[in-house]
Amino acid sequence: MADHIEQQLAPTPGERTAIFFKRTDVVRTSLLFIFWTAVFVVLGVVFYPKWMPLVMSTELKSAEAIMVWFTVISAPIAGLVLAITSNAFLNMHRGDTPPPDGPAVRTNGPVVAVWTITSLLFALVAIIWGLTEMNGQAVAAARDAKSAITVEVTGSQWLWTFNYPAQGIETHELNLPVGVPVVFDVKSADVNHSFWPVQLGVKVDANAQVTTVIHTTPTKIGAIDVKCAELCGLYHAYMETNGAVMSKDDFNAWVTAQGGHNA
Amino acid sequence: MSTLDMTSTHSRPVPHPKRSLITRLHMGTGVVVGIIFAALAYYALKSSLLTYTDKVADPLTPHTDNIVLLGSMFAWSIGFLVGIGAFIGPWRWMIGKDLTDEEILYMAGDGQGIKRYFKYCTDHKVVGIQYLVGVMTLLGVGGTMAMMIRTNLARPGGHFVTATVYNSLVGLHGITMIIAMIIVATGPFGNYIMPIMIGAYDMAFPRLNALSWWVLFTAIPVLCSAWFLGGIPTGWTAYAPLSVQAGPGMNAFVATIIIFAVSTAVAGMNITTTVVAMRTKGMKWNRVPIFVIGSTISVALAIPAFPTFMLAMVQTGLDRTFNTGFFDANMGGSGWLYANLFWIMGHPEVYVILIPGVAALMEIVPVFVRKPLFSYNAAIMGFAGIAGLSVLVWAHHMYIAGWAPSLNGPFMVTTEMISIPTGLLFLVLIGTLWRGKPWMKLPMLSVFAFIWDFLIGGITGIYLSDVPADGYLHGSMYVTAHFHFTLMGAALTGAIGGLAYWYPKMTGRMLNERAGYISFWFVQIGFNVLFLGMFMAGAEGQPRRVMDYAAVFAHSNMISTIGAYGVGIGMIILLWAVIHSWTKGTIAPMNPWGAKTLEWTVPYPVPLTNFDELPVITSDPYGYGKGK
Repeated sequence: MADHIEQQLAPTPGERTAIFFKRTDVVRTSLLFIFWTAVFVVLGVVFYPKWMPLVMSTELKSAEAIMVWFTVISAPIAGLVLAITSNAFLNMHRGDTPPPDGPAVRTNGPVVAVWTITSLLFALVAIIWGLTEMNGQAVAAARDAKSAITVEVTGSQWLWTFNYPAQGIETHELNLPVGVPVVFDVKSADVNHSFWPVQLGVKVDANAQVTTVIHTTPTKIGAIDVKCAELCGLYHAYMETNGAVMSKDDFNAWVTAQGGHNA
Repeated sequence: MSTLDMTSTHSRPVPHPKRSLITRLHMGTGVVVGIIFAALAYYALKSSLLTYTDKVADPLTPHTDNIVLLGSMFAWSIGFLVGIGAFIGPWRWMIGKDLTDEEILYMAGDGQGIKRYFKYCTDHKVVGIQYLVGVMTLLGVGGTMAMMIRTNLARPGGHFVTATVYNSLVGLHGITMIIAMIIVATGPFGNYIMPIMIGAYDMAFPRLNALSWWVLFTAIPVLCSAWFLGGIPTGWTAYAPLSVQAGPGMNAFVATIIIFAVSTAVAGMNITTTVVAMRTKGMKWNRVPIFVIGSTISVALAIPAFPTFMLAMVQTGLDRTFNTGFFDANMGGSGWLYANLFWIMGHPEVYVILIPGVAALMEIVPVFVRKPLFSYNAAIMGFAGIAGLSVLVWAHHMYIAGWAPSLNGPFMVTTEMISIPTGLLFLVLIGTLWRGKPWMKLPMLSVFAFIWDFLIGGITGIYLSDVPADGYLHGSMYVTAHFHFTLMGAALTGAIGGLAYWYPKMTGRMLNERAGYISFWFVQIGFNVLFLGMFMAGAEGQPRRVMDYAAVFAHSNMISTIGAYGVGIGMIILLWAVIHSWTKGTIAPMNPWGAKTLEWTVPYPVPLTNFDELPVITSDPYGYGKGK
């Protein structure tokens, strides 16, 4: 093994580019790039919608869209990383002696610049996407504030209680009318909990002595699972209840059956 | 620190300062004195607090049980350090003296064979091995707990363990693994290899080096005692007010974190000073091996991060003992205060774990591809960028906490920005791989596994940091899978690569290759099955830290449990390989991989002062490759 780098004449810029982008490696990497990008696109587009529960609100729809589309957008970057990695893997050298030395490329200014700018753009897409969605949700919440029904949610070890002040009822199942905006005022009677109506795609912690608020609008009729998403002690796993998004008539009938009055 | 004339150590006889107390102290005396201290504290506190026990009706009455337990735990830790002789040096300074040269040489463990591993030994190589054994023990314990968790979750309605035990398993698995992962690379390799890599005789503060290990050691029995005091119900995040209402086991958690924070502060200060002040002649900042840069940034990041966790635990301890109400909203405190303090530590901490693992792999790739590290500057920018941004992102753990919703936007911006320096780390790795023929040895395999695992961990992190997606995914199994991909798939894989790479230098023998390969594939395939199954469970809507779940999650959990057993089998094989090869492996040559960093220029066993004469450096260690 050479103790020092052999002194050689510095290659010209054209030669340097030819060394860096050697044709066989570029071709093989491009094919692998197409393969891996396709794998990630399929993973995002097929599996997330398959795994996620029935989308019953705009919030869950927007969460699902982020999961699917961010996977698709990041697929080419992941594809490139995995293409170069798997190309190297396929070029492996086995045996008990080290492989011959590779090209002494210490850096490549344009490659580093393009990579950094691409990742900056990708981060900007993620940021702008997120801020736009957040803004849309905030605007919708402000617009719907008047027409919304209010549900006061109280978490206690290990039970959810729902109070509908306008209807004058208190229950342990979360029923909501479809298409009507809803505001959840959430608090805790003891330790921290986290109120999670799964199919509505929103979540907020329940804290003692303060009320936290989330908004959503159920868009589809169907069953809801309400779970606790913050470890709250012994029976955290069983702190769950059911509910449903129902037609307005069904909801009114349910309120009446519970002894409440329809606003 | 040492005043020895280093060049003459080899000609000295084995020192034995006959009349010194130092020669009589070791781990055994430490344990005995520690237990005596703990017992004294127990009875002293118990008897002095007797007057309070009959005033239970008063809400401001101190909780005597918690005071007694916490006091005894700290007394154990201090007593152990007294008993092992940690304070002999400072005591001498107080009376205006210092250790004699003979005593200093004795403390360095010169010529004491295996006994020095059980003493307050200042040799950085001994401390490195102590950390390695400690890390493997913690990983073994934490891994066993993970197996029990997955066994309980194999089927819905599984009652392999009770609810109390399950919650304790979740919390203790978490904190055991976090402690193990914080020290997994900087402990063994940062102590054993790094001083040799920079061409130093020893660490800057050898006695503090020993202190950092033995302080950490005293935390281990304290953590284990949680198990016998009824466990902890809070997970490793120990959110208040749940942690305040929790039973006596929680005291062990509080004491463990406070003791551990002292250890990391001491170790971080020592490693940082060593790298800044003790690099050999010619090792300018642009010639320092990248592992040294990564470890230093990692420990330097830990120095400001951990005190907030320590503070949060001091406050939790006070709430639990004297009803101070820092975190109790009913008394004017706030649980959000705890969450903020915790995550101000918590997010830098994940990068404290990640960076040394990546840096170890960056050290490995050029050697096995026989090419220079691609863009050394990009690697440093990546580490520095991550470290800088990581202190500004903590509240992405609190998007849905209800605390300051108007800050969600700014925290989302800083969090997404972290993908840029993280991208640079990928660029350095793939740029080095590009056009290379990697030598398929065990350390190199970890590089491939790392890239796949960290890619998945990174991409899933991008959705989690977007607020609307986090509204659905937060607190679900999806988050658990995400951070296991980064902490286990990336950081632990990096550390295992580092172990395979430096094993010959640390033990003088080669790690058994066949067992290493089998273990690698079991662990990596099992790991991916395990956590891809968990992504599925999380996307379906299963909360994390649950002991039971609805039938709809049965498939995904079954997949996860099968994968977990694969990881378990692989890790047992790796453990066997490490233990077996330590005494029975083939003898390693001085430089088995043909690497150019300084640790491969010293023989095994590494001499007490590493180098007879300090080397002079004229280039960085990545001068591989043909000119054309």
